[in-house]
Amino acid sequence: MTQRFLSHQELASLVAELLAAKTRVIAPVRAKDDPEQVEYQPIQSLEDAALGVRIPRRSLKEFFLPPTEVLLHYRQTKTGVEIREVATVAPPQVILGALPCDAAGVAAVDKVMNWDYRDELWFGRREATTIVSFLCSLMDATCFCTAVGLGPESSTGSDVLLAPVTGGYLAHLVTPKGEALLQAHGSEASEATLAAAEAAQREARQKVEQNLAAIPAEFAGWLASNFDNPVWKTIALRCHGCGGCAALCPTCHCFDIVDEHESADEGVRRRNWDSCQTALFTLHASGHNPRQSQSERFRQRIQHKFSIYPSRFGEILCSGCGRCSRNCPGGMDLPTIVGELVAMAQAKPEAGGQ
Amino acid sequence: MSDDGGHRADHTWSPRVVAFVCNWCTYTGADLAGTSRLKMDPNVRVIKLPCSSRVNPLFIIKAFERGADGVIVSGCHTGDCHFSTGNYHARRRFAILHDLLQFMGVEEDRVTFAWVSASEGNKWQQVVNETTARVQLLGPCGMLPGAKGGAE
Amino acid sequence: MKPLQELAHKLLSEGTVKVVIGYEEGPRGVRPAFITDAAQAEKLIFDIRCVQNLAAYLNPRRTQVAQLGKAAVVVKGCDARAVAGLIREKQIDRDGVVVIAVRCGGVLQNPETDTVLTSETVSARCGGCAVREPSLHDYMVGELPAEPPVNPQRAEQIAALERMSPAERWNFWDEQLSRCIRCHACREACPMCFCLKCTAEKSQPQWIDSSATLQANRAWQTMRVLHQAGRCVDCLECERACPEHIPLGLLARYVADAVERRFDYVASDDPSVPAPFGVYRADDEEEFIR
Repeated sequence: MTQRFLSHQELASLVAELLAAKTRVIAPVRAKDDPEQVEYQPIQSLEDAALGVRIPRRSLKEFFLPPTEVLLHYRQTKTGVEIREVATVAPPQVILGALPCDAAGVAAVDKVMNWDYRDELWFGRREATTIVSFLCSLMDATCFCTAVGLGPESSTGSDVLLAPVTGGYLAHLVTPKGEALLQAHGSEASEATLAAAEAAQREARQKVEQNLAAIPAEFAGWLASNFDNPVWKTIALRCHGCGGCAALCPTCHCFDIVDEHESADEGVRRRNWDSCQTALFTLHASGHNPRQSQSERFRQRIQHKFSIYPSRFGEILCSGCGRCSRNCPGGMDLPTIVGELVAMAQAKPEAGGQ
Repeated sequence: MSDDGGHRADHTWSPRVVAFVCNWCTYTGADLAGTSRLKMDPNVRVIKLPCSSRVNPLFIIKAFERGADGVIVSGCHTGDCHFSTGNYHARRRFAILHDLLQFMGVEEDRVTFAWVSASEGNKWQQVVNETTARVQLLGPCGMLPGAKGGAE
Repeated sequence: MKPLQELAHKLLSEGTVKVVIGYEEGPRGVRPAFITDAAQAEKLIFDIRCVQNLAAYLNPRRTQVAQLGKAAVVVKGCDARAVAGLIREKQIDRDGVVVIAVRCGGVLQNPETDTVLTSETVSARCGGCAVREPSLHDYMVGELPAEPPVNPQRAEQIAALERMSPAERWNFWDEQLSRCIRCHACREACPMCFCLKCTAEKSQPQWIDSSATLQANRAWQTMRVLHQAGRCVDCLECERACPEHIPLGLLARYVADAVERRFDYVASDDPSVPAPFGVYRADDEEEFIR
């Protein structure tokens, strides 16, 4: 991975060039409805961006998997059904100022989107997007990226990672796409710059590490063999099953597919965000629900993220961003819950069921 | 006024109004208007229900979502309900719906509530024509997919 | 809150209830507590950060709580109105729950950041509270604090909306509701949304499209707040749950005000007072009817 020094001025001209070339640039901005909040939105100039202010309230997920999207249009004719698919090639865009946890979240979902079927819509947008992350300095007590194998200095999922230093940034060019983005910008990074960035990275990392210890590799196995552990009956009592966690999560990706008539003979097929936290998610047509209560549904959330996904794809389906916990109206705190479960796993590693 | 998304057949836009009417009073009154050959705008599509209290506020919302530009809801005068108390309950529901729709930005003139009795053919004519005229002035309602604000 | 802790200890150790639902200190501030062991009763607290409406956990859809057994629930006056609503609508039996009312002087709008109750930090729903000592209770604990300050913010927002033209109001709600992703967190967190099959989930026929299109979002929010008319207790769980920070409380408050204005009814803490849409008056207003 090559590194380069990028001055503030150079970043500004890079952004100006991108916008002039009609490339969409998305960055954290102050929310219109509440200027205290920050969210990822398209910008018209670098001045619009609110970099390093606050954790954006939503993840990057919506730029790759929108809350609702049309998959195809259909029209009934006298002889049959005409189907018109949507374009899978997306216009180019650059995400500037992504949090490392958000970039890593997108990369984690890549795995399932290219599993038994390559999702053309997801990858159409992935291929068109260059992600420029910033070394994170916004961590609070609910963050736990280091516990899931990431960190504020993580470059997973990013094409470029910018670490703020005096006068600008140390740019880590992580992927060929990142190199292409900065090929005409930046200069050689001095030893001093490299050292300063490294010090900043270490400091950032230490801040998060104190929130939750690294989740041991054995945790996935413990979860698998503790499916019937009585802890599930009480760990989610305060959970409302609202699904807000899934909506904000960078890695939750479940969706529902529906057909909607727009007139008597025309309609669309859409896919919409869905969440395993709702009762409807596993409700059978017969009326039977294999996940009858919130206890089972919350168990599923933990099992999927920390056991099932890792066993299938080799990584935890969580980037430790903490949004689920910050937003939860019921006071569910994921780092605390995971910490308690890990402690149980370490106390009695062979325990299963009763 | 904005394009209504291709739902007009001719070159001038004319509103599409849906009327939810009760079978016993208003429908009969509308029938009387028809047999009396009273001149009425052709924009109103009548949906007959057993009672005004059968009108779920969702019907009105759905009508707007599916292309209606205006809605009429009409039943028996209070005290004359065929089911004795249906329209009293309906009146309460409609009151809140009326207030809420306005709060959400739907113009008051888009939804007309009326009591029209079986003998009030003239009143039905008036309700139809006045509603159509008021909605004509307001333009198309924006709730169709593809209309103002519709997301792809 | 010693009297509360002692009461909870008594109820649990005597077996009167199997769980006391109250408030406790959590890792990020106050959170709902489910005390099943009398020895843990000392965890129960009550202060101005206790914004949650714990009546939500009596909602029969919270089966994970119901299976614990008979509950005692700690309620502020506003929360007691929700308990009364659930009893009124036959979702729970009066005998099936022990109501512990706490005398309340208002709670914070943002308990994560604020620490002192002022007219700027108090929740907009507290000012003028008429149920600080709710009639629905089996026990009442705590000293009666001073009356909560009045936060005019929400009344001002509603007044500002009412002053707008219909087109401006339409655009305001378009902007707010364009963020709605139809996660239905508002519904799930609400104490009064107990329908096992929500109207929005019916597919035969489908009244409301499930996709997060602007028109379907409007239909959903309009319908939900209409279904809450006269039942909503303004606890703002919906707004706290919404991951998109849509000001759902504005809609709820507007409809509650309309119900009060037209039918002289506020969601009552007395379960025997009938729901406003189950009754009528011959002289109900009909100025809007031609």
